[in-house]
Amino acid sequence: MLTEDNVTTGTDIKSALSVTELNTYIKGMFDSDRTLGDIFIKGEISNFKNHSTGHFYFSMKDEGSLIRAVMFRASASKLAFLPENGMKIIAHGRVASFVRDGQYQLYVDSMEPDGVGSLYIAYEQLKKKLEAQGMFAPDRKKAIPKIPSRIGIITSPTGAAIRDMINVTGRRFPYAKVILYPSLVQGPDAAPSLISGVEYFNKNNAADVLIIGRGGGSIEDLWAFNDENLAYAIAASHIPVISAVGHETDFTICDFVSDRRAPTPSAAAELAVPDTAELKNKFNNVIRHEASSVNKMIKSYRDKLSYLSESRALKNPQTMIDDRRMAVLLSSERIASAQSSTLNRAKLMLGRAAAKLEALNPLSVISRGYSAVYTDSGSLVKTVDQLELGGRISFKTADGEASAVVDRIKKDNNIGE
Amino acid sequence: MTKEEIEKLSFEAALSRLEETVRLLESGNVPLDDSLSLFEEGITLVKLCNSKLDSAEQKVVRLRVNTDGSAVEDPMN
Repeated sequence: MLTEDNVTTGTDIKSALSVTELNTYIKGMFDSDRTLGDIFIKGEISNFKNHSTGHFYFSMKDEGSLIRAVMFRASASKLAFLPENGMKIIAHGRVASFVRDGQYQLYVDSMEPDGVGSLYIAYEQLKKKLEAQGMFAPDRKKAIPKIPSRIGIITSPTGAAIRDMINVTGRRFPYAKVILYPSLVQGPDAAPSLISGVEYFNKNNAADVLIIGRGGGSIEDLWAFNDENLAYAIAASHIPVISAVGHETDFTICDFVSDRRAPTPSAAAELAVPDTAELKNKFNNVIRHEASSVNKMIKSYRDKLSYLSESRALKNPQTMIDDRRMAVLLSSERIASAQSSTLNRAKLMLGRAAAKLEALNPLSVISRGYSAVYTDSGSLVKTVDQLELGGRISFKTADGEASAVVDRIKKDNNIGE
Repeated sequence: MTKEEIEKLSFEAALSRLEETVRLLESGNVPLDDSLSLFEEGITLVKLCNSKLDSAEQKVVRLRVNTDGSAVEDPMN
């Protein structure tokens, strides 16, 4: 093995090195260099291969030079993004030589996007943070009003986006008033400007729905829409917000925190207002519906009416009178018969009472041959105890009276017991 | 609501009154005389909404925001 201590080896023809020895020597030089062992490199990715083993093979280059690079699976799997050709990165790792091929390369253990890429990282971080705060939760989303009369637009007063939105709202629903809050939409002052717009409309309750956005551009151009404070301003808005930033493929924090995301400014305008033609169609349906409701009601009344008009009462009133007369007649007959039966019952009862009375008439007993016997003092004789031998009694018959003397008294002992 | 009252309504108010009218009619609890006048009212409301839509001319304003936060509307176009 060659080391720096015996560099004399290979200095003449007799001590010639094998290729392996040379490459091993070179490898040793690389490995002992502190700078190469811990180094940041910036450049652009090319020839990127995401190997099935999970290792990344690629080159890093700039305008004048290129170095091969490898990132092993253990490091590659930790990356938050997938590298791609043309992406500018800052890589960290070490430079080492590979003995077999006699080539040195960069062994990357971490990388992050350079420039735009670091914005991307910041975007991802903010997105995660806000998401964790629940700022994107579906239940926070406010409904977009169906028929807004005032549409607040926060965007640049120049440019295609505002033109498109005015055109679309004007074509679909000219009834709505468009209120433009002219805002910066890129650069360091854009975010505060956009925030002022959101706050202005909310403070003055100056719109029924807000559209915030701009036309397409690079990620740097759209950057203001990833501002954290803008996200809070939109979340605090009591007016529903539609976000329309860039093209369909551009996603910003503003899109996530708003109540609706529209892929483009024109699409936002379509979401914000109803289509007059559709609305008129709806009105016609309403009229039809109302008419059918009223018609249904009229029909049901008509049915009821015809049912009633078919009734005997209206059709042949004479029969009603006849019926009444008949009823009166029947009633009077019933009263009469009830009366007569009461009379008969009374007569019958009277007869019975009279018969009972007759039975009790003492004269009628005498008339059948019985006599009533009286003592001398005039009391009716009911028992022999009232009599005495030689005493005088009198008796009455139906046609007169006589008197007699008692000459025998015999009491029946069983009577009265 | 009289015809005069209806014609003073804004588009939004007319629309919500129209929705109310439909709801009442659909409920079937309205006496016939009332339902007929409601129906007429509905038709008037629809006509009003349609004519408001037809006659609407888009109004676009651009805000000029003062330093105190107040704003002036300037016509745009």
